[in-house]
Amino acid sequence: MGDRVASLREAVASIPDGSVVALGGSILRRHPMALVHELVRQGKRDLVLLGWNNALDVDLLVAAGCVRRVETSYVGLYVHGLAPNFRRAVEQGRVEVVEWSETSAQDRFKAGASGLTFYPSKVLLGSDLHRRNPQVREVTCPFTGERYAAVPAATPDVALVHMHYSDRRGNVGLLPRRVTDNEVDILIAKSARRAIVSVEQIVSDEYVREHAHDTVLPSPFVAAVVEAPFGAHPCACDRFYDYDLDHVALYKEHAASDEAFQEYLDRFVRSTRTHEEYLGRVGLRHLLRLRRPNPLVG
Amino acid sequence: MAAVCARALRDREVCFIGLGTGGRAFVLAVAIPILACRLAQRTHAPHLVPMLGPIIDADLDAVPDCVTDYNLITWPCSAQISGPSSLEMFTRGKIDVGFVSGAQVDRYGNLNIVAIGEYTRPRVRLVGPLAQPEHMAQAGRTIIVADHTPRVFVERVDYVSGAGFLEGGDARARAGLRGGGPALVVTPLAVLDFQTPDKHMRLVSVHPGVSVDRVRAQTGFVLDTPASVPETPPPTEEELRWLRATDPEGRLLGARIT
Repeated sequence: MGDRVASLREAVASIPDGSVVALGGSILRRHPMALVHELVRQGKRDLVLLGWNNALDVDLLVAAGCVRRVETSYVGLYVHGLAPNFRRAVEQGRVEVVEWSETSAQDRFKAGASGLTFYPSKVLLGSDLHRRNPQVREVTCPFTGERYAAVPAATPDVALVHMHYSDRRGNVGLLPRRVTDNEVDILIAKSARRAIVSVEQIVSDEYVREHAHDTVLPSPFVAAVVEAPFGAHPCACDRFYDYDLDHVALYKEHAASDEAFQEYLDRFVRSTRTHEEYLGRVGLRHLLRLRRPNPLVG
Repeated sequence: MAAVCARALRDREVCFIGLGTGGRAFVLAVAIPILACRLAQRTHAPHLVPMLGPIIDADLDAVPDCVTDYNLITWPCSAQISGPSSLEMFTRGKIDVGFVSGAQVDRYGNLNIVAIGEYTRPRVRLVGPLAQPEHMAQAGRTIIVADHTPRVFVERVDYVSGAGFLEGGDARARAGLRGGGPALVVTPLAVLDFQTPDKHMRLVSVHPGVSVDRVRAQTGFVLDTPASVPETPPPTEEELRWLRATDPEGRLLGARIT
């Protein structure tokens, strides 16, 4: 099977401009922020971003000028309200948006992950998500004659997800007690032609073998693995660390205007050449305070 | 508002409340519904099953101080199922009643949480549809909790993220929607419903101290008003006692659960 470990730089360098990129995570949880920062560092452009529930992963990429189109059910900063860069860009016509509901966004990834070309949906009927989205068609059940909306499968060029651990061969695992919303990440990764997975830690082959039931992405689904501790920061990562709401507040302050936000990007993303430098900029003492109180409990 | 909502819930129902958001949206879409569910459980609906996102039958006496992941994972409950599984409960028809809110609500109970103004170049871009489409399409019925201003209550929403009665009449059935649609609207001024022949919104009662004229003035469309409008029965002593017991420091209603 071979060694699939890559550096952040190598992994992201393989993503061409104009790619359809699926981003894992939801609200302020487990977005692949280390990978997102590297997209900005490498100046990627014209990306189409697919997700089911997004936050500053999308907001930051839009502000950095990397994005042509966004397709998801939510772009916001959770308890900190609207995503300011995204909001301004949409209001000024600088980025396209396609609306999906949580279910239909997930259904698209389900279809892609299963190798199907569409998914039948009952949830979009009647709303403008059906009427104003040319990607949604109507179909009739061949057995009952009932009306359905049909949503196209999501088949992104690349998926970026953040998970807990992997061996060097790309068998990726999640510790069992975790926030259950992000099970969708598994579908997101499987729907893509190539999945690039960042993990908190690379582990031994033996560890994976002893916990084979916790492997969620077997290596045939994984193109590259990048070791990135605190790789979701400032988002939470299950039993490892919580949201950094102070950093999100700082982010939001800078996002009040395009000019002020470029300062945030310069300070945290463009002037940091590696993920480790980014973490250093955030500060070790600050990061350690985000860790969970009791890893045994979760 | 919480007391009115509680009275609208029935025993043994599964009641869906979203999680997330902050500020006023949290109070309308999460805090008031949580209080309503707990009150209902303590009064006439002891077997009501609340669903807070993927958290089923959470102990509503133990609402966490802040909604960190750690607190959500460890919140005492009967089940924490996967995100996709909780959404499937809508399509499966297992959600009897759900609470919804919106930046805009129109005459036929359609909601908008996507964009104010022209959709392709909006005046205000909001967060996006979330799970509101499935909620409004599939729940047995929905209860709309919203602020009562002419900017919120509009003739027609700028974007339909949640289908109410669409264009009215039998439009829901013709569109193939399984759920019953909005049953009630609760605002800081009044209670309204859709029990009219063509399913448009009508005034049911005004809260104590609120005049019918004020409600009509705060509604951005001509509000169907009966000749005689009763006063909303205020919370009883017992209801007030239970509400205070659930949120003694006003953390929920003050949106301080963040």
